[in-house]
Amino acid sequence: MSTPKVKRKFKRRYDKLPTVLLFVLPALIPLIVFWIYPICRSVYLSFTNWDFISPTYKIVGLKNYISLFRNPRFFEALGHTVVFTAGTLIPTIVLGLVLALLLVRNFHGSGILKFILFSPWITPTVAISIVWTWIYKTDGGIANTILTALGASPLKWISSSDTAMLSVIIVTVWKSLGYAMIFYLSALERVPGELYEAVALDGASKWRTFFDITLPCISPTTFFLMIITMVNSLQAYDQIQVLTQGGPSGSTRTLLYMYYQLGFQEFNMGQATAVAVVMILLTVGLSVIQFKASEKWVHY
Amino acid sequence: MNTRYSDKSPLYLRIPGIVGKILILAAASVFTAFPFVWMVVSSLKTKADILNTDIFFPSEPQWGNITGILFNSPIPKYILNSAWVSLVIVALQIVSGAMLAYALVFLKFRTRKILFAIVMATYMLPVAATYIPSYIILANWGILDSFLGLIVSSTVSIFGIFLLRQGFMQIPKGLVEAARMDGASHWRALWEIVCPMTKSSFITFGLMNFIGTYNNYMWPSLITKTSDYFLVSQGLRAFFVRDGAYGTEWALVMAASAVVVIPLLILFAFTQKWFINGIGGETGMKG
Repeated sequence: MSTPKVKRKFKRRYDKLPTVLLFVLPALIPLIVFWIYPICRSVYLSFTNWDFISPTYKIVGLKNYISLFRNPRFFEALGHTVVFTAGTLIPTIVLGLVLALLLVRNFHGSGILKFILFSPWITPTVAISIVWTWIYKTDGGIANTILTALGASPLKWISSSDTAMLSVIIVTVWKSLGYAMIFYLSALERVPGELYEAVALDGASKWRTFFDITLPCISPTTFFLMIITMVNSLQAYDQIQVLTQGGPSGSTRTLLYMYYQLGFQEFNMGQATAVAVVMILLTVGLSVIQFKASEKWVHY
Repeated sequence: MNTRYSDKSPLYLRIPGIVGKILILAAASVFTAFPFVWMVVSSLKTKADILNTDIFFPSEPQWGNITGILFNSPIPKYILNSAWVSLVIVALQIVSGAMLAYALVFLKFRTRKILFAIVMATYMLPVAATYIPSYIILANWGILDSFLGLIVSSTVSIFGIFLLRQGFMQIPKGLVEAARMDGASHWRALWEIVCPMTKSSFITFGLMNFIGTYNNYMWPSLITKTSDYFLVSQGLRAFFVRDGAYGTEWALVMAASAVVVIPLLILFAFTQKWFINGIGGETGMKG
């Protein structure tokens, strides 16, 4: 073979390389340094007994995982994570859809309602959680004043392990409701009008129309919101830190909060990264299940 | 425009539905708006008023609470910290994100699919899982507890890459090729042809990430310990726990929250359509 030909071929394959690198590296380098490498490093650290302060550490194999699986606190945290995720995901999606259905047709004042309903999402979780702490105050808090006025008995909200999780869930749903609503509003607008006309000719009832046309047409949005809300709930930190710090008596300690306490309060990096790995596996596992299940009910 | 929800039944049959709709919307709006209203009225109360549950409005508005926060507290400094750190971060994220999205859509190279798969996978992973190693990296570089550390660790936004890629894919490839024929570099094609055509994606990206970074709490609170470098969420929390004498100075704490929240609500009032049209339209699940 002739050298110039090889050279040209080589040149053609690689002459674009500098351009590609120039365009890719500004994002790829930070992505590797602060995302991909740290994830791999976390997996590695979960097999060590590093305590953050000592310069040396040993590989301890599965010891961190074994002691995690023997620790009742871990299973409590796992249970709280499941309760919190389901408890925020279902109301957010159902109520978000109900509000979007009521607001999809513009009427006088619908703009301001959308503004109000979406506004919690843009405000700092820390600020609004502080406000909610004040609302939830056991004596003299407005939540109990309202309950008493309605004839119900006052609750201890964030100061009792029976109601703390409920209180955190209420704040989280309050914050994410408008976000789900916005996604549903644009999904509902994109449902082809002919479909409604067709079933209207058949004389279908409103409920039939909703279940046969609307719900399948917006199923990709429902699926997207399920994934996003799940990922957000698995990572919720701000409201827990401000409202309860995982308490009382661990009743709002989720896996993420346990990770924070192990890593940044107890400096048990091995155990903390083991919890992080469990969180990664949980996220991946739940996403895969949702993707598999979505083939049955999501219509693209 | 649409007949989709039109209802031909007589008015008297529709009344229960209309009343129900009004009731649900009213309840949802009151539930959503109430914490904001309560924050504002509480911020104007005296120490005696605020503990008296029988009165809703302050007997005499204490504007001093608000001016005290504005002129005699570290809260405005935290707001400025958040604002400029977020501006720098978002600018970097837009440049790096636009370049990567451009490469993914308009440049042909063999690892393009793999690269996109990697980006997609990182989108769903819990970011907290990266915090311990990232913390150690910043410690080794000696930039923990600094604005530089905050900025350096957040120069890329995976969400933004998705959003821009989605927008770029709507542009006919021929347009970019034609510009290249005329001798424009890829850099110019990106900023002079692609960017103006996807302006709304850029604006949505900028606003969403500005708000997200401005409000961010967990990561900044892990790496900054000196109050000079606090972003607003961490600063507010510190004020709530320490300076605000938790449990006694509720009016001041509410005033501080109001000073933090109200500018964001005003910003949102003016930019509402970019959020509502921008995020709703991009579910990222198609294409």
